[in-house]
Amino acid sequence: MLVAAFTWAELAQQLAAGIREGAIYAGLALAIVIIYRTTRVINFAQGEMATFTTFIAWSLMNHGLSFWTAFPVVLAIAFAGGVAIERVVLRPVENAPVLTIVIVTLGLALLLNGLMSVIWGGANRQFHGPFSTRTIDVGGVPISVQDIGIVAVSVGLVVLLALFFRFTKLGLALRAAAVNPESSRLVGIRVGWMLALGWGIAAVLGAVAGMMIAPVVFLDPNMMQTILLYAFAAAVLGGLDSPIGAVVGGILLGVTITLLGRYVGFIGSTLKLPAALMLILVLLLVRPGGLFGRVAVRRV
Amino acid sequence: MRVIFVCAVVAAVAVTSAGARPVATPGVSATEIRLGSSVPLSGEAAIAGNVARGIAAYFKYVNDKGGVFGRKITFTYLDDGYDPGRAVNNTIRLIQQEQVLAVFSSLGTSNNLAVRKLLNDAKVPQLYVASGATTFGRDYKKYPWTLGYIPPYSEEGELYGRYVVKNIKKPKIAVLYQNDDYGRDLLGGLKRGLGSKVKSIVASVGYDPTSADVQPQVTQLKASKANVLMVFAFGKFSLQAFNAVSRLAWKPQIFVNDVSSASALMAIVPQSAANGAISIVFGKDPAAPLWRNDKGIKLFQSILRKYGSSVNSRDLQDGYFTTGMATAYTMVDTLKKAGKNPTRQSVMNAATHLDEKGNPFVLPGIVIHTTPSSRFPLTQVRLQRWSANAWHPFGKLITARPG
Amino acid sequence: MRSRLWLELSGFTLLALAVAALPRFISDFRARELAIVGMYFIALIGLSILTGYSGQISLGHGAFMAIGGYTTAVLSVNGVYGHQIRDLWTIPIAGVIAGLAGLLVGVPALRLSGLYLALITFGIAVSFPQLPKKFDHFLGGTTGKILDLAKPPFGLATTPNNWMYYLTWGIALVLLGAAWLLVRGKTGRALKAIRDSEVAAASSGVKLATYKTLAFGISAFYAGVAGSLYAIANAYVNPDVFPIILSVYLVVGLAVGGLESLVGLIAGAGLIYFLQNHADTVARWINQLPALNLDPKQPGIPSMIFGVVLIVVMLLLPTGAGGVARRLFGSLTTRFYTRS
Repeated sequence: MLVAAFTWAELAQQLAAGIREGAIYAGLALAIVIIYRTTRVINFAQGEMATFTTFIAWSLMNHGLSFWTAFPVVLAIAFAGGVAIERVVLRPVENAPVLTIVIVTLGLALLLNGLMSVIWGGANRQFHGPFSTRTIDVGGVPISVQDIGIVAVSVGLVVLLALFFRFTKLGLALRAAAVNPESSRLVGIRVGWMLALGWGIAAVLGAVAGMMIAPVVFLDPNMMQTILLYAFAAAVLGGLDSPIGAVVGGILLGVTITLLGRYVGFIGSTLKLPAALMLILVLLLVRPGGLFGRVAVRRV
Repeated sequence: MRVIFVCAVVAAVAVTSAGARPVATPGVSATEIRLGSSVPLSGEAAIAGNVARGIAAYFKYVNDKGGVFGRKITFTYLDDGYDPGRAVNNTIRLIQQEQVLAVFSSLGTSNNLAVRKLLNDAKVPQLYVASGATTFGRDYKKYPWTLGYIPPYSEEGELYGRYVVKNIKKPKIAVLYQNDDYGRDLLGGLKRGLGSKVKSIVASVGYDPTSADVQPQVTQLKASKANVLMVFAFGKFSLQAFNAVSRLAWKPQIFVNDVSSASALMAIVPQSAANGAISIVFGKDPAAPLWRNDKGIKLFQSILRKYGSSVNSRDLQDGYFTTGMATAYTMVDTLKKAGKNPTRQSVMNAATHLDEKGNPFVLPGIVIHTTPSSRFPLTQVRLQRWSANAWHPFGKLITARPG
Repeated sequence: MRSRLWLELSGFTLLALAVAALPRFISDFRARELAIVGMYFIALIGLSILTGYSGQISLGHGAFMAIGGYTTAVLSVNGVYGHQIRDLWTIPIAGVIAGLAGLLVGVPALRLSGLYLALITFGIAVSFPQLPKKFDHFLGGTTGKILDLAKPPFGLATTPNNWMYYLTWGIALVLLGAAWLLVRGKTGRALKAIRDSEVAAASSGVKLATYKTLAFGISAFYAGVAGSLYAIANAYVNPDVFPIILSVYLVVGLAVGGLESLVGLIAGAGLIYFLQNHADTVARWINQLPALNLDPKQPGIPSMIFGVVLIVVMLLLPTGAGGVARRLFGSLTTRFYTRS
């Protein structure tokens, strides 16, 4: 591999690329965290759910809708879809071992992936996002409006979520149902519906992440597969039950692996994934709950 | 009891050996010729399985018109999910259970490498491998039952190198390549084509197929101040490369390898980056306006409509189907040449003495040609340039045959 | 308790007899298919020791299979100091090397629990295929390593498929017996105690760290043996031969087999093989339903079928085939054999 010399301008540009990539991981990681928080399940179908809703957006836009008209429709569909999946597929195995539930979400991922290939075909599609791909000059470094938009959206989402969980009754009920379902039931919270609501919100977050990334990486049924892996890593890094952690973890991961891949010759692009794994492992050994997560204290 | 059993066995053996006729060729009966293939129909590469669906449709069309010497072709294709382990299992199933005459157009470099020894050991033809790895045509002394089909990747790279030497003054070349055999084959060929000018490669960066986006790599290449960019990528990564070039406001002369250059893909990348890009071409792209009224493409579409299974309008524009039909056309030619009573040996013999003109699914003028010591069937290509939302071939047919 | 022992011993004998006799009744290719089922079975026994008995979830056992497979490939193709080792003798070495890797993973696993461990092991499954790509001079990169085709040794007059069948199932039975002894003994009791309550186990003197790490090592040994056999049967390894989804399939097999039922795992192993290779058959069954006409040759349909079957199987048998067998027969055996 022939490597160009180091320049500050390139470093700035790589940083920008890393932050953008990290913001995408963050979007999906946020969805994973929400489901984990409300139902204690890791959802392996999160990536395919996001891609599926992005395809729905693509179809709507193909029929002449503008992005901003399609956007709320897609979010509504995503929400309904998430709730429906929880009610129909996950409710029956609610009390089954974790392993069973994980496999159900894997089955769901395979089903959705196949369904997308059948409905929309396997070819790559162009997805017109809401942001211009025009570049603006930031201190001599060209950065595209799209990249700035993507980062802004994922930061905005986490702020919205924080407000929702802290200041709305529904948000409080969601948290209560997750932390202590028995007592929540006693105070009149419908725990079952809270779980479904968690899935609905996660599906919406996934849909937003999908519509943000599709203009960059192009839309196809496998669009989210690699990204989901990084999103898992981001969620673990930040702490599985912390939304802030998901965003910080995502951006940290994006920047770290971009810079490692670029400037540490041995790692290159081949060892990015193992390097990310090692980083997270080391962190977990120091902080078993991730950067922002809490760990239940083991009492003897 | 035991005595009776032993007697029965001895008798049975005696009968079979006494009645032994000349061994029939597996996969050939009075009414049928059996061929088989292993392709991905699930997993990340599932879309490429359409090659086999194109082949299946073409064979049905041939069968409808009487088959080959009165025999119908039965084509069995099995899903391997692009996993070489499953490709091995499928291939053994095709030989032992489906009893095929030949394994034909299995897809993927590693998947074919994995079964090459097995097939050569069993003396089963491994025909028209759907991979451009040079080894399938080059190493026939060790693997006489194997044959490739499309132009080898390394030769494609060499053509780009020669073009740069001849046509671009003071080239400074940056290369983005997939970091595996496929990408490195192209890069190696490029270096050979550049010859003494190999120093004009100022930066080359590999990306791993597990990457989410190749923008970091393109950013790095841009920093080398190159004026030529080689995109030796695959699928979405090539699209992302064009995207990144546009986002970084970079204006190099782009070369993009054949596998990533379908019109349907080029049409969806930022045109500011795509315009002026150069590639090679040998097959007819059903999505390209150039071939809209071409007889071959019309034939392709009518066959697919009539004989394809679960085909929709999207498939009529899908280049994987045409590639499949082009290969199937050559296969039917091969079977005809193999004589009225084909054997595995005669099929192999026919496949190494091809001289096929007028395959309707490849560019006009291309001759598909092999000899026992030159085993690259399709080596004639043209260069093409992208502008106004379409590829425009230019120059004469040139040969990409390893020297 | 004695009667339970007799029941299990006679069950094992029956299984061994069935394994020995089966090739007489099936085609040569079926023997190969069953050999591969046997390989999954071996890996599943190991996984059930880890998950079923010590309660640790691993979504990364495909990586240990890969380590086993690569060990066999390197020893039999590269050789040691230019001396190539016959594939047969590489099997135990592959097991041991994978087992050591398992111990290595087992140590940090002590600090992680539940889904964190699941995700980290999943990360191992995702990361491992990158190593042969990086160290391609030694491990062959994406080109992979081509092994000699499997041949029966000592001039045995049998087909390669039958040879792989007997080899695999012979090893499987030995390892099944070993696992059975293990879970019945002191180690098994310690592991179960840990799974049921770490705190209680620790306070009654079970060395948590030792046993949990050991369980990881043992289960990786089993996976390594399975991977080695898989490499021999395919005569080829490259990173795609042990894809990420292999680790997922193994967990599926475990869940279907039932976490604690060693023999139930055969059903799980069968399902892993069947779903990957016989989507056509499943499609035919599904098409019996009115208004359905799935074409298994259309890209995407095999994935859909796989997904639907997984969901349906999990909804119907949330505790796996072993759990169902226990529910069906458990009460019977209890009624007949317990003397209270």
